[in-house]
Amino acid sequence: MGKYVLRSLLQVIPVLFIVSLIVFILVRVTGDPVALMLPETATAEDRVVLTQALGLDQPLFTQYMKFLGSALQGDFGQSFRYGEPALQLVLERLPASFELAVAAMFFAIVMAVPLGVASAVKRNTFTDLIISGISVIGKAMPNFWMGIMLILLFSVMWGVLPVSGRGGVSHLILPAFTLGVGLAAQMTRLIRSSMLEILSQDYIRTARSKGLGRMVVIGKHAFRNGLIPVVTIMSLQFTSLIGGTLITETVFSWPGLGQLLVVAVNTHDMAIVQAAVFVIAFIVVVTNILTDVAYRLLDPRIKYD
Amino acid sequence: MRKRQWTGMWITLLAVVLVLSACGGKSAGTNNDSASSESGSGTSASTTLTIAAATDIESFDPHNNNNTSSEAVLVNVFDYLIKNDSEQKKVPGLATSWEQVNDTTWRFKLREGVTFHNGDPFTSADVKYTLERVAKDNTLKQNSYFKNIVEVKAVDEYTVDIITDGPDPLLLNRLSKMGAGILPAKYIEDNGFDSFLKQPVGTGPYKFSKWAKDDRVELVKNENYFDGEPKWDEVVFRVIPEASTRVSELLAGGVDIAASIPSTDIARIEGEADKKIVKAPIQRVLQLIFRQTEGSVTADPKVREAIDLAIDKQGIVDSIAGGAGIVTRTSVTPGNFGADPSLYKTSLYDQEKAKQLLQEAGYAEGEAEMTISVSSQYKEPAEVVAAMLEQVGFKINLDVLEPSAFSERYSSKSFKEIFMIGIGNSLFDASNNYNRYMLEEAKGESDYNNPEVEKLLQSALVNMDPASREKEYQQVQQIFAEDRPAVYLYQMEGVYGTDNRVNFEPRSDEMFYADEITPAQ
Repeated sequence: MGKYVLRSLLQVIPVLFIVSLIVFILVRVTGDPVALMLPETATAEDRVVLTQALGLDQPLFTQYMKFLGSALQGDFGQSFRYGEPALQLVLERLPASFELAVAAMFFAIVMAVPLGVASAVKRNTFTDLIISGISVIGKAMPNFWMGIMLILLFSVMWGVLPVSGRGGVSHLILPAFTLGVGLAAQMTRLIRSSMLEILSQDYIRTARSKGLGRMVVIGKHAFRNGLIPVVTIMSLQFTSLIGGTLITETVFSWPGLGQLLVVAVNTHDMAIVQAAVFVIAFIVVVTNILTDVAYRLLDPRIKYD
Repeated sequence: MRKRQWTGMWITLLAVVLVLSACGGKSAGTNNDSASSESGSGTSASTTLTIAAATDIESFDPHNNNNTSSEAVLVNVFDYLIKNDSEQKKVPGLATSWEQVNDTTWRFKLREGVTFHNGDPFTSADVKYTLERVAKDNTLKQNSYFKNIVEVKAVDEYTVDIITDGPDPLLLNRLSKMGAGILPAKYIEDNGFDSFLKQPVGTGPYKFSKWAKDDRVELVKNENYFDGEPKWDEVVFRVIPEASTRVSELLAGGVDIAASIPSTDIARIEGEADKKIVKAPIQRVLQLIFRQTEGSVTADPKVREAIDLAIDKQGIVDSIAGGAGIVTRTSVTPGNFGADPSLYKTSLYDQEKAKQLLQEAGYAEGEAEMTISVSSQYKEPAEVVAAMLEQVGFKINLDVLEPSAFSERYSSKSFKEIFMIGIGNSLFDASNNYNRYMLEEAKGESDYNNPEVEKLLQSALVNMDPASREKEYQQVQQIFAEDRPAVYLYQMEGVYGTDNRVNFEPRSDEMFYADEITPAQ
């Protein structure tokens, strides 16, 4: 197990290297930050000066080697917009995104586990039908639409929750719920099918025939095994929650990584785009390793060599 | 047993969420309190002003900023030597009077007894430090506005001479805009610029309190402000990029003023009893700029006239802009130096004549093919323009570009026949509108070449006599109205939603001077 983790960690290096290369090239071929930075009265000469000051006049390869050299020392360059180290700006935003992702995950689990188990245990009943219906709707609803609707209801009409921004727990509820619903819908369906499959297995029948109580069979024998695919989805979703909360963060003006990235792309703030994508890639890779470890803890039959 | 473990996990998760969110927002919590006391149907006048804008400031470095929304916030922290009042007239700021010594030197008398937020006195050394920094460091974003200042001489503690490299009729305009906000020389020398950016200090009516990036800037009252005690205890600028959220925040009472209201939400806000919409023309004119290079369809003046006549500008204002626009035949709108009012609030529209002109120019229906490039932010008006042009017989390829791609094509001057753009004017002077048509600058972009215009523009650039300089620009405008190197669609208007608890009259420069906004009684 220790060896496995070590080897996985070593595999992280080439992945991050490739990610950095792709992002580096993409941000440089898609537009000119100098044009966005200078005022309308700037002359061609001003553009040349700024281009040189930013090092954008050098060959792509030279720029990349320079970038790589500093990146290895944790320096991802300065944000053009803020004039501060890009990595620091990205890391500053991470807690906000992490907070939102954890809260969304919390909502998703709270909703999905009971619903998923219930619809499996009561399969093909009215309950099952209702739960399936809800989860289809939940999954089909676009995030931004749902966010706007929640704001209209809870903030504008009833005035019980703040519209936007980051603050106390009350600020967290609407965006976390918005993000959590789609995830919950997906998890509910997954838990259902996973539980259904396990409930038909021989060892469940054995457990039942031993005279074990219904709760013990479902809770101890079936649920634990039914959870394995769910853990996969959860980990994949968690990483996409961290990096991909763009829409939700924008709708709720949540000052997280997603919003930083959206603004950085719009203003062509290369250093931030690079640092943000790199950090997201890092989180994805590490989460994947942790997922594998979680697998093993849940199901000792999965072996690593 | 198992069940209990899972319950445990949920509780842990909940705890993590609570802890995380508690670390997140102490001051946001206090803001919440003030917001709720405000919405409690006004028992006492509120002392916090909250304004929502679509974009965040870039930094507290007034020299390294290039967006209006930054300046709109920074004007409350830093003062200029000269201020523009709400009608763009120059009034004393940190300078009490000024005079022109000779063609290249201006002398300013500074206000005495002013202190920075840290207690340091304001003197001529601060003016010297500030203006020489922005004039000399060519990596600063505001440098191009100030680089013609060669020296700032401290004559005595409260007198400075500003010396330019040649006659500069725009010096006063430069000194009353972003980049000229006076910085504390001693504080920065003692602590370094990085600490200044973390704890900025100016002479303005409001002091820096907190900046949470992409979330909010919080300012508090400067009780020692030279111009009397500021009106608000606290001023909060919130960043809410999504327009519908900004509107909701206004409707829910979370903010007093919301900027950049989309035309589709105007009716919704007007329908609320305690909210209203206020509008003001801003320094931005939406226009089509033509390429006049030999062989280009738009090199023919008849074609350009046909384009002008084919577009129903008022129709676009009414339909696309929700009425928030003023038609114009010049981009130098009133409030700018050199404006020609006879070309304002008027437009030409005659489809029949446009068809006829196109025929005279030798094009049959669908033969005059042109590409209009536009940034996606102006996609809708561009689509309507294209449709109107096709009605009179043009064939239009609409090239909608993502904003940063548009900027790149713009600075590399690689558009085809037409590009559509909203051009602002932060200097409030006609030169800003016309420099692009001077021979050197026009090369590769419009390739506009008119010796008469060139002569007028070159002269106005260094003409220190305001009266004759104004005439020169008015002459250029009359020529442009016939020659049409560009066709102007309309001057845009800033649309704001406000709560009835404040009185707010928007400014044409889009600044939010907190002290010009007052609590409603």
